[in-house]
Amino acid sequence: MQGSELQKYFHEPLFIADIKATTKNDAIEELLNLFLETKHIRNRHIVLEMLHTRETLGSTGIGKGVAIPHGRTTAASDVLIAFGKSEAGIDFDAIDGKPVHLFFMVIAPPHDEDNVYLPILGSLVTTLNIKKNRDKLKKVETFEEFLSVITGE
Amino acid sequence: MLKKDLEMLVALQDLDLMIEEADDVEKLGFNITGCSELKNARDELAGRLSKSLLFRYERLRSKLKRAIVPVKNDICLGCFLRQPTSIGTKGREDDEIFTCENCGRMLYWID
Repeated sequence: MQGSELQKYFHEPLFIADIKATTKNDAIEELLNLFLETKHIRNRHIVLEMLHTRETLGSTGIGKGVAIPHGRTTAASDVLIAFGKSEAGIDFDAIDGKPVHLFFMVIAPPHDEDNVYLPILGSLVTTLNIKKNRDKLKKVETFEEFLSVITGE
Repeated sequence: MLKKDLEMLVALQDLDLMIEEADDVEKLGFNITGCSELKNARDELAGRLSKSLLFRYERLRSKLKRAIVPVKNDICLGCFLRQPTSIGTKGREDDEIFTCENCGRMLYWID
């Protein structure tokens, strides 16, 4: 999946240029709240439990300052991605032990019609493995700037 | 059946989906170390459900892959068939668990 195909899963209300959270749990909750505020998800408890359970499987902090908390849940109907950025960085138990600055939360329903969930995760990992992309994302202030990095424009 | 049972089934299915896709997710570059903890959590959760409900869930899963599916705008997101509006009203409020008349999956209203 190309960056240009990824963009339809991002929406401005699911974008935070400056995450307030300072802990892993708070960061997860802050991003999840975006889905609740936009009514993409109504049952907070179920999705939060799923996300915490996912972290017990292994931290979604993939290193290099990036975390991609994710999961399928029966409480969601669409595949959507929230983005948040922390300038200070947050300890997320990342595999390299370094603080996380870039957060992508991917929530998917139990089965998505176009089977895009895993390709989305793969595309995010590929995009974020590129240092130039990470450096640019750390500087974005607006949703438009963010999308231009994701789409590679 | 209580709504609490349905919520436990939803949590169980979310866990099963996670376990099912753990290998695929690992191949993408994620660190997967806690599979056995997750399976233990799954067994513990399954043990809290009545045997009949768990049997119903397992049977649906083996037949249809997903036993419980979200309903949004009265559409079953398992087979995409519109559900009667009257069922939707009851499904959101009642303790009874409704199944899709077309695909047989258990329904979970998310709107």
